Amino acid sequence: MDFWFSYIALASIYVLLGLSTNLLVGIAGIFSVSQAAVFGVGAYIVAFFLMNETMSFLPALAIAALCCIALNILVTLPALRVSGDYFVVTSFGIQLLATAVFTNWTDGTGGANGLPGIPPPDLAGKALESSGEVVSLCVAGMGLGCLIFWLVMRAPFGRLLRAIREDELAVAAAGKSVLRAKVSAAALAGAFAGTAGGLYATFLSFIDPSSFDLDSSILLLTMVVVGGARTLAGSILGPFLLLALPQILTLVDIPTTVAAAARQLIYGVLLIAFMLFRPQGLAGEKL
Amino acid sequence: MLALQLLCNGIVTGCALGIVAVSFSLVYATTKIFHVAHAGVYTMSGYVAWSLLRHGFPAPIAFVGAIAAATALGALIQGVLYARLERRRATHLVVLIASLGTLAVIQNILAAVFTANILQFELPWGSQVFHLGGNVRLTMTQLLTVLVNVAAYGGVMWFSHGTILGKQIRAVASNPFLAEIVRLQPRRVHIYVMAIASALVCLPGILVPLDFGLQPYNGVTPLLTATIAMIAGGVGSITGAFVLAIVITELQNMSLLFIPGEWSIGVTFFIFVVFMLFRPTGLFAAAR
Repeated sequence: MDFWFSYIALASIYVLLGLSTNLLVGIAGIFSVSQAAVFGVGAYIVAFFLMNETMSFLPALAIAALCCIALNILVTLPALRVSGDYFVVTSFGIQLLATAVFTNWTDGTGGANGLPGIPPPDLAGKALESSGEVVSLCVAGMGLGCLIFWLVMRAPFGRLLRAIREDELAVAAAGKSVLRAKVSAAALAGAFAGTAGGLYATFLSFIDPSSFDLDSSILLLTMVVVGGARTLAGSILGPFLLLALPQILTLVDIPTTVAAAARQLIYGVLLIAFMLFRPQGLAGEKL
Repeated sequence: MLALQLLCNGIVTGCALGIVAVSFSLVYATTKIFHVAHAGVYTMSGYVAWSLLRHGFPAPIAFVGAIAAATALGALIQGVLYARLERRRATHLVVLIASLGTLAVIQNILAAVFTANILQFELPWGSQVFHLGGNVRLTMTQLLTVLVNVAAYGGVMWFSHGTILGKQIRAVASNPFLAEIVRLQPRRVHIYVMAIASALVCLPGILVPLDFGLQPYNGVTPLLTATIAMIAGGVGSITGAFVLAIVITELQNMSLLFIPGEWSIGVTFFIFVVFMLFRPTGLFAAAR
């Protein structure tokens, strides 16, 4: 039963991250391998506020989301003004820089040992102690995220984003600011990633840099690619499928030293195979 | 004296990264692919050399074997993956994701076979020390790194301006449609470029680990520095990429005097942001 609880909670959190990655990669068409870094910033901020008992869970989550919005705007703005390819460099740079900060800033992040003992989330003054309550919170977060994503994509703003994917030049000629739309999508992606980070920190009550490194960013990208770009269904399907993969791998008898590499290897193979044979993913639209 | 030693180390690493930048720039300027998997080719070449040495082959044969393996891998990536994606008119983003997938595959095959621990080369002549005036020391490996990579830079300059294939590559880079019309066969030229660039990246790919050891995930940071050098130097300019790689590594090494080494990625990235804000087309862009 515990296994199912943690699977559903983690999958819910990763659905939020999948939505975030989908907004950037699928919808705005920006290649990003730094979503795990933004996720990590959210997680560390919420962990910091809860461990120092400065404030309760929801305000901390709001601050984390705001910081991640600001971070994403700051990251996307200069690179998008120049050329799409430069964003690849920015993205790799931010990811490696974030890993360096998470690992080396021992006072703030606990360094490589991570931060243990993060208190459980609280709502309206009541701490959510039981795992059932925390799982419900994560699922509620996922539901809210999906609702927002669905509403945004139905709104005129969503149509604008779709139009940009079809023909950027035509959108610009119609008098819409492509840059502003892309940066707004990135900001929304930041809010999702920050919220997911806060939920992740309180759910596991322990965070360390290994959850927020380049490999995790590749995992997030794989989730979107496998699930399918630009659709809600794809963003939900990908995380649920890929989080089941490590469990399937435990059935196969491979030594633990190779297990991590084997998992990443499968993500890599999935990325190549889907790009070659099914770029739209299982339930997505043309990438 | 520490400053002088750091200056020398900076030139050594800078020359090595210069060739990474030059080879990446060749691919990027010609195929327009942001070839992230180049980091995988870079890492793999070191591992091939290491395992050939481990099996008792003499150093020159091991190095040539590594270069051959990298060349084949580069041509394979272009021929099997990129060319196929291009035929299907895949978007830029799709190619980029496939390239990232290739990088993950190469790195993790290496990690699964050789474990993720650091492997050191056991070549006694490599650590032979030369004293240059003052207290500055250079090892045989470092000296070799500078000589080989500067020679490689000269070789690339001669190749791309003095040989037919080099001129064809530049023609395809500057106008693929026109090149197709005059029967230059861009697809075949793309495979040559990838093979040449992969052979080139082998040189730093072997020489740098001789000094610092091998790790499967160690290719990304050099590639990042190299791409920043390419952008700062101006895309398409070979000299720009090579010179800026040396300048950036030099700044990074000098920053060690004030900032602890684990933050050097921050210094590199800061240089990139400065260029992004003030000179996004790069320093040598006019020289194209």
